[in-house]
Amino acid sequence: MTALASPSRGASLWQRWRFHLSALVLIVPVIFTPVFFQENAFFDGKKGLGQREIGEIAVGPWSVRLAEFKVVAPDAEGRAGYAKTFALALCPACVDEVKAAYLRVGKPRNIRTAGALFSGTPYRQTAEMRIPDRTTADDVLWLTLEGWDGALHQATIPIRAASPITAAWLEKRGRP
Amino acid sequence: MNGTVSRKSSGARLWFVIHGWLALPIWAFLFFVCLTGSIATVSQEIVWLASPMVRANAPAADARLLGYDQIMAAVEREVPGARVRFISRPVKSMFALTVSVTRPEGSTDTLYVNPYTGAVQGEQGEFDFRDFVRALHGWLLVPFNDGFSLGWYAVSALSIPLLGSLITGIVVYKRFWRVYLRPRLRTGKGRRVFWGDLHRLAGAWSIPFIAIMAVTAGWFLVRAILDDNHISISTIGVPAVVARGDVPVVARGEPAPRITLEQAAEAVRRQLPDLEPSFVQFPSSAYSHIRVGGRGSYPLLFETVDVNPYNGKVERTRRVSDRSALELVTGSMRPLHTGDFAGVWLKLVYFGFGLLLTTLVFSGMMVWTKRTAIETVKLVRERASARLGLEAAE
Repeated sequence: MTALASPSRGASLWQRWRFHLSALVLIVPVIFTPVFFQENAFFDGKKGLGQREIGEIAVGPWSVRLAEFKVVAPDAEGRAGYAKTFALALCPACVDEVKAAYLRVGKPRNIRTAGALFSGTPYRQTAEMRIPDRTTADDVLWLTLEGWDGALHQATIPIRAASPITAAWLEKRGRP
Repeated sequence: MNGTVSRKSSGARLWFVIHGWLALPIWAFLFFVCLTGSIATVSQEIVWLASPMVRANAPAADARLLGYDQIMAAVEREVPGARVRFISRPVKSMFALTVSVTRPEGSTDTLYVNPYTGAVQGEQGEFDFRDFVRALHGWLLVPFNDGFSLGWYAVSALSIPLLGSLITGIVVYKRFWRVYLRPRLRTGKGRRVFWGDLHRLAGAWSIPFIAIMAVTAGWFLVRAILDDNHISISTIGVPAVVARGDVPVVARGEPAPRITLEQAAEAVRRQLPDLEPSFVQFPSSAYSHIRVGGRGSYPLLFETVDVNPYNGKVERTRRVSDRSALELVTGSMRPLHTGDFAGVWLKLVYFGFGLLLTTLVFSGMMVWTKRTAIETVKLVRERASARLGLEAAE
């Protein structure tokens, strides 16, 4: 009877506040506010080209800066398989000379199979590069630049250098 | 529980209990989402009031709006070397143009440009109130990493208790239409009566609004599930690319010959005279189109036109009539949710009903907790007296 008439302190607090517990959800936006601003700054290019800069790569008479957009393993894209995003900036002198930039795993046979087309502005563009099923960690990425004058120039970057996390992911996956 | 309810059939009582329990455990979360959502509907107008740089003040009464080429020239003058990504001309003439540019060092910024003078009136800083409120409302700022954010799921899942509350509310309060004829809000009969009257009054008046919110929010949940499972209902198909043969080859160092934005706008006007362009997007590569978009005859959806940047041909249009019935319905969900398709008046209507819905959540909680508290006390007393009676009998 005493228990009913005057419940313990903890129980009465629970009785009184249990329906307001969902207010604790508000902790979530408080925690994520700094992340929200960091992400915005990142997408606007205020934290650099990408999360991990690969470096300056000479391509014929031109050069580009290449970066891993995010340091994450390739994304599953449904039936399209896996893809990995890279970011690129053209050298200041070649901004008006380069028509297009492409990236793919392995050597392209011709310009039509040059791979993912970079899109954005010459100062920062991204491409979502497909990772074919047969790709191994020892494969090489081919970067193709096409000039407005029709010239083609290429450079290669080992996957291990371009994206160590992708190389590790490929090793773990093994050859299917 | 007072007389009116306890006299009702057990079926009605069950619906009543379900109605209460649908929202009570999550009321504070729902309250927060309704409140931030209400603010989000008018966030653009709040920014307009707070920040002069987003306003479009005409220098003279007869000032004329600048064409796209003049805007481009003005941006190049004020931010040399920057590449324009898109220009958007808000439908309401009180707002400045927003021009998204990427600077040579790689940072992308939003400029507010006066549509009459071309003056860059300011630049969006790190804190974008409108974006922030939207993200707070829509996904609790939880980032989107692999697929939709968990915050998005949590918020859009509220559509289920919201729809349930609406249906059970109507079932419980079958004669809600009485409120339309004889509204009743008793203020002198205690807090429970007041909150109860307010809850019924606000609820009855908000039935259509709640239905719109619950259904459109439910679509947001479905959309996330479809998207995260790579299921597409789109009829757009593969994005159009500019044919390789159309892209000119020039001598090294020569500029690539492209049409101007004004020429593109003219091509669109010729082809689709009733389209009111509200944005122009630059080609994002040498093989992509200039995209012009705006609202046509059906104000909820945007129609877009892709113009070949080398020869000015309209190569692809995406009009309301090109969409499947399913796309028309699902495409209308977002504008219906935000109310951003008919002008400031509708936004204010949405804001008002949003606040009413927020009040509804709060008053529902007040009614239920007060009632539950009374019920508990009653229950305790009954049991206590029964025990006393037993002890006395022994």
